[in-house]
Amino acid sequence: MELVKQHYEVSGMTCASCAVSLESYLSKLNGVRSVNVNYPNHSVSLEYDQNTTSLSLLQSKANEIGYTIHSSQDAEDVSFEQRENLRLRTLRVKLIVATAFSVPVFVMAMFLMGRFPFENYIMLLLSIPVLIYSGSEFFVNAWKRGAKGTANMDTLVALSTGTAFIFSVFTTFFAQNLIDKGVQPHVYFESAVVIITLILTGRFIEERAKSKASGAIRQLMSLVPQTVLVLRNGDEVEIELNEIVTGDLIVVKPGAKIPVDGKVKRGESYVDESAISGEPIPVSKKKGDQVLAGTVNQKGVLRILAREVGDKTVLARIIDLVKQAQSSKPDIQRLVDRISAVFVPVVMALAVITFAVWFFVGPEPRVTNAMVSAITVLIIACPCALGLATPTALMVGLGQGARQGILVRNARGLEVGHTVDTLVLDKTGTITRGFPEVTDVVWSKDADVDFLSNAIAAAERQSEHPVAQAVVNHFSSASAEVEVTGFQSMTGLGLQCNINGKDIHIGNKHLMLKIDAHYPVYLETTANQLQSEAKTVVLVSHDYKVKGMIAVSDEIKPSSFAGIEQLNEMGIEIHILSGDNHTTTKSIASQVGVTHIKAEVLPMDKGNYIRELQSQERIVAMVGDGINDAEALSQADIGIAMGSGTDVAMESADVTLMHSDLGQVSRTLKLSKETMKTIRQNLFWAFIYNVIALPVAAGILYPVSGFLLNPMIAGGAMALSSISVVMNSLRLRSKTQVNENESNI
Amino acid sequence: MKATFKTNINCSGCVLSVTPALNELDNIDEWKVDTENPDKVLEVVLDDQNVESVQTAVRQAGFEIERIT
Repeated sequence: MELVKQHYEVSGMTCASCAVSLESYLSKLNGVRSVNVNYPNHSVSLEYDQNTTSLSLLQSKANEIGYTIHSSQDAEDVSFEQRENLRLRTLRVKLIVATAFSVPVFVMAMFLMGRFPFENYIMLLLSIPVLIYSGSEFFVNAWKRGAKGTANMDTLVALSTGTAFIFSVFTTFFAQNLIDKGVQPHVYFESAVVIITLILTGRFIEERAKSKASGAIRQLMSLVPQTVLVLRNGDEVEIELNEIVTGDLIVVKPGAKIPVDGKVKRGESYVDESAISGEPIPVSKKKGDQVLAGTVNQKGVLRILAREVGDKTVLARIIDLVKQAQSSKPDIQRLVDRISAVFVPVVMALAVITFAVWFFVGPEPRVTNAMVSAITVLIIACPCALGLATPTALMVGLGQGARQGILVRNARGLEVGHTVDTLVLDKTGTITRGFPEVTDVVWSKDADVDFLSNAIAAAERQSEHPVAQAVVNHFSSASAEVEVTGFQSMTGLGLQCNINGKDIHIGNKHLMLKIDAHYPVYLETTANQLQSEAKTVVLVSHDYKVKGMIAVSDEIKPSSFAGIEQLNEMGIEIHILSGDNHTTTKSIASQVGVTHIKAEVLPMDKGNYIRELQSQERIVAMVGDGINDAEALSQADIGIAMGSGTDVAMESADVTLMHSDLGQVSRTLKLSKETMKTIRQNLFWAFIYNVIALPVAAGILYPVSGFLLNPMIAGGAMALSSISVVMNSLRLRSKTQVNENESNI
Repeated sequence: MKATFKTNINCSGCVLSVTPALNELDNIDEWKVDTENPDKVLEVVLDDQNVESVQTAVRQAGFEIERIT
C-alpha cells in the first residue's frame, strides 16, 4: 500500500448531485481509499493506493461520467477561474440562443396555429438550435448518468424534451400516416424549447450566484509578499518569495508584510498580528521575539531570521485547513434532484404501463395509440418550471437579504440557515467593535484637568504605542498647543516627557513604581476595579504624582445585546470563541448573557471547535470577522462574516452582514426559513399541473370522453406551473418586507 | 568587535550554504565573504568577543576557517 492524498480541481459538475455521483463512482473503484468532492469549490480530494491505481486512471474514469479532474496544481487558481468564466459565458450564449429561437416557436404554437403554411417545418427548424446546441448538456449528462443507472433533474429534462422533439419531428414528416390511422397528430416543439430555455435560465442564475465562490484561498495567499528583501552575503537583495531558505535573514521595512515565521534578530517594532491572532492591538517585538508570516510590521525596521518558510508557516497551515474545511463541507442535496431521482423512474414506469394497457386492451390501431400515449406521458412529465423553482426563490431571497444589508454570496447559506441550532460567535470585532477605545477617564481630586488633557494628547501623539491612537482620538478636542520636550518612549512601561518644566509620565503601574510616583490608594482601588472589567488602565503622573487614569477597552457594540437576545429567544445555543484571555472573554460573555465560552483558542483550533459541535449532530453557524476565523467560517454549516472584517473572512463565509450587526444574524436565519418554504411551495406548484396532466396523457379520460393530451393542455400546464412558481417566489418579497421595516427603525 | 577569517567559501553557492549557520548565531551582527579575494575573507561584526562561535558555525557548515585578525 502506498497511499497518496491529493487535492484536484474538477470541472463539469453542474449540480450538487453531480458531486455525489462523482464521489460514489470514484469511491467504488479499486485502490481508492477516500473521495471527497467539494461542489462549491469544484474540487476533489482523493486518497488512493498508488500501487493499485493511478491518477490518470481515475481521471479517465471520471471522464467516463462526464467530469474532468485537473491535475496541474500550480496553475490552478488562474486557469480554474478562467474555466469558470468560460462556463458562465457559454451558458449565457446558450441561453440567448435558446430564448431567441423559443419565443417565435412558442408564439406560433400558442397563438398562430393554422395561420402559416408549413408551420410545423418552420417550428422544427427553429427548435433545432435550441435542442442541439443550448440543450446539449442535458442530453450528455442524462446519457452518462443513465449509463450508470441513476437519474437527476437533467434526466427528466432530457427525457421529456428529447421525446417531445423526436416525436414532433416524426409527426411533422409523417402527419398523414397518423391521420390515416385515426390519430390526431400533434407537435410539441414549443414544450421542448420552452422547458430548455427556462431551465437554462435557472441554471444561469445559479451559476452566476456561485461563480465567485473560491476567493478565500487567494486572499489568504496574498497575505504574504511576492518579493522579499534578504541579506545575502551582507547585501540587501530582493528575491522571490519561494527563493527564501530557512536561515535567511530577512529585512522587513515599516508597513511591510512579514513573509516567514521566524525570530527577530535585530530591530524593534510593533507588529499587527490580527491576521493570525484576531486581536486588534499590535504586539511589541524586539530581539529574540517570534514573528509569524502574514502579520504586518508597523513602524520600525526588523531583521528576521527565517525559521519556517513556504508551506511550513502557521499561515500556510491555516490556508491548508481552510482548503480542507471547504472540501469536507457536505453538500446539501437539492430538493429538486431528490424529487427527480424518484420521479423519473415513476414516470418511466407509468409510460410502460400506459403502453401496455393501450396495447393489450386499447382500441385499434393499438400500436400507434400505445406509442403516442406512452410518448405524451414522457412529454408532459417534465414541469417547465422545474428549473425555476429553486433559483427564483433563492434570487428573491438573495435580493431581500441584500436590501437589509445581508449579502448572501453562496446560496447554500439560505438553504442551510433555517436548520441552525448552534451559533458560535467570535468575540473581537464580532461582539465587540474590534478596536480599543477610551471608556473611562478618572482624575484625582486635585488634577488640573484641562492642562493634563492637552498634555496627554500632545504626548501620546508622539507615541507609537498601539493604545496611543485610542487616547489621541479621545482627547482630540483638547487642541491647545503645548510644547513637549524630552519625549522618551520606555518599552513595556510607557513614556515620559517634559511639559512646562514638569515631568509627565504616562504608562502602566510598573512605570509609576519605577519613578516612585505618589499613587493615592483611592486611585489604585479604581484602577483595580477597571482592570477587573477587562480594561487596560493607563496611568498619568504629573510631577511624580499620579493625577489620573485612562481606561481603554474593546467595547461591546450596542447592537450585540439585542442581537444575542433575539437568537436566545429563537432557542439557538450560543457559544463564544475567542483568542483573547479568559478574564476578558468571560467578562464580555456575562455582559451579553452567554454561558458557553472558550477563550485562548489558537486560530488553528477554531475549526476543531466547530467540528466538535458538528460531531454532536448539531447544525452550526459561525459568525466571525478575522483571518483566524476563516477555517471556522468555512467549516461551519453556514459561515457569517462581519462586513467590517477582513476580506478573507468574507470570502470564507456564505453570508456577509454589511451593517456588522448581530441583530442581522436572526434576520438571516428567518430569511432562510422563508426562502426554503418558498422553494418547497414552488416545487409543489411546478409539479402539480403536470402530475394532474399525466393521467390525461396516459389516456385515463379516453374511455369516458375520448380525450387525450394535446399541446394546449401541455402548454397550459407549462404556463400555469411557471406563473405559479414565479408569483410564489415574488410573494416572498412581501413576506420578508416586515423584517425590512424592522431593520429600518 | 570586528574579526576577519581566511576560509574556503569559494563561490556564491558556498555563501548560500553557510548563510543559515551564520545568521543563526545570536552574537553576530553583520557578516560578508569576499569571494573575489584569493583568501576568501569572511568579515564579521560581533556583539561580543566570542570569535570561536563563528569558527564553530562555519566548520559545522562544512568549510575551513582560520582567524586572520
